[in-house]
Amino acid sequence: MYWRPVKGRAAAAAGLPGSGRGNYRGMLRKTLATACGLVVLSGAAACGTGQRESGASAVAEAFSSAIERGDADAACAALAPETLEAMVASEGEPCEASLTSQELPSGAVGDVAVWGDRAQVRTEGDVLFLVELEEGWKVAAAGCSPQGDLPYRCEVSG
Amino acid sequence: MKRFLRDNGLSVGFGAMFLAALVGQAFAGQADFNERQLAQGGERLSLLQYLTSSDFAVNVAENWQSEYLQFFLYVFATVWLVQRGSPESKPMDEIGTESDEKQQLGRYSTEDSPAWARAGGWRTAVFSRSLGLVMAVVFVLSWFAQSVSGLSVYNAEQLAELQDPVSWAGYVGSAEFWNRTLQNWQSEFLAVGSLAVLSVYLRQRGSPESKPVGTSHATTEKSG
Repeated sequence: MYWRPVKGRAAAAAGLPGSGRGNYRGMLRKTLATACGLVVLSGAAACGTGQRESGASAVAEAFSSAIERGDADAACAALAPETLEAMVASEGEPCEASLTSQELPSGAVGDVAVWGDRAQVRTEGDVLFLVELEEGWKVAAAGCSPQGDLPYRCEVSG
Repeated sequence: MKRFLRDNGLSVGFGAMFLAALVGQAFAGQADFNERQLAQGGERLSLLQYLTSSDFAVNVAENWQSEYLQFFLYVFATVWLVQRGSPESKPMDEIGTESDEKQQLGRYSTEDSPAWARAGGWRTAVFSRSLGLVMAVVFVLSWFAQSVSGLSVYNAEQLAELQDPVSWAGYVGSAEFWNRTLQNWQSEFLAVGSLAVLSVYLRQRGSPESKPVGTSHATTEKSG
């Protein structure tokens, strides 16, 4: 990963940056192009975040209100496939039955954080983790409580 | 065309190798990213989606910043630090920014000197440091890009592992950020230092990075 400019006469002969007026301007142009590229690189991460936040928020709200009104069908439909699979495997009964018996907390949606294809949504009584799949945002974990520096402990997770 | 390629062999050759390596990195990075997504129950990305992702950006930026830091430090350090017998170094008695005569400045400038070298004042002061400055600016921009895109990747992983995301300041102070940064820096410093020392005793016939094959080990600053 090492390279450095050829120096002195060799640089001037090769027309490298720093060896003449025209090349100096060329170097500045290249540097500006590089700088623009870097701004694009760092900005790519932030593009469209607001829109995605509201998408994650809407799914979390739908999940939370389904839990509140006891609509297990709707709540199970909002879960990510891996989470659904893990839940059925660990509980040994259909998702609808285990969600009804778990009494997950619910409430109005508060803070939303979206990073990459993941989101964390805080509701009045819960912390939800979501994943963005082809079909849209899905709940990857629910009924989560903090454990200090350790990962959240969640009633429902993949 | 043939003459152009010959006259610009270094820039064309390294430009082509850069693009080929970047394309290779894009394909390998996409495959690696999608394997991790599969393990974490996430969606796989197309090549185009991966090229605009933070994962690709952080991997590009973290290498760029270390390379430009190396450029900047090498350009700046070789003004003041010398290595007896190394073609990478100037002679022992020329440590520092050197005289106007040696640097062809002021009344020693020629008609061929760049305009800003002849202008005097702030223009000449800036131009006299322009190579190091440009390297330093690209280094800082790349490092900033690494911190922004790295934050996005780090927080996505935090959320996938059911942990809280961190702020930009929290990420810049994290072990993850400094591990990514220092593992690149150490290799750059080692490569520069070892080239300066090895070129005292070893030769590469025809390379301006080496002394002529028959030159004594004690001879400093002589390209062959």
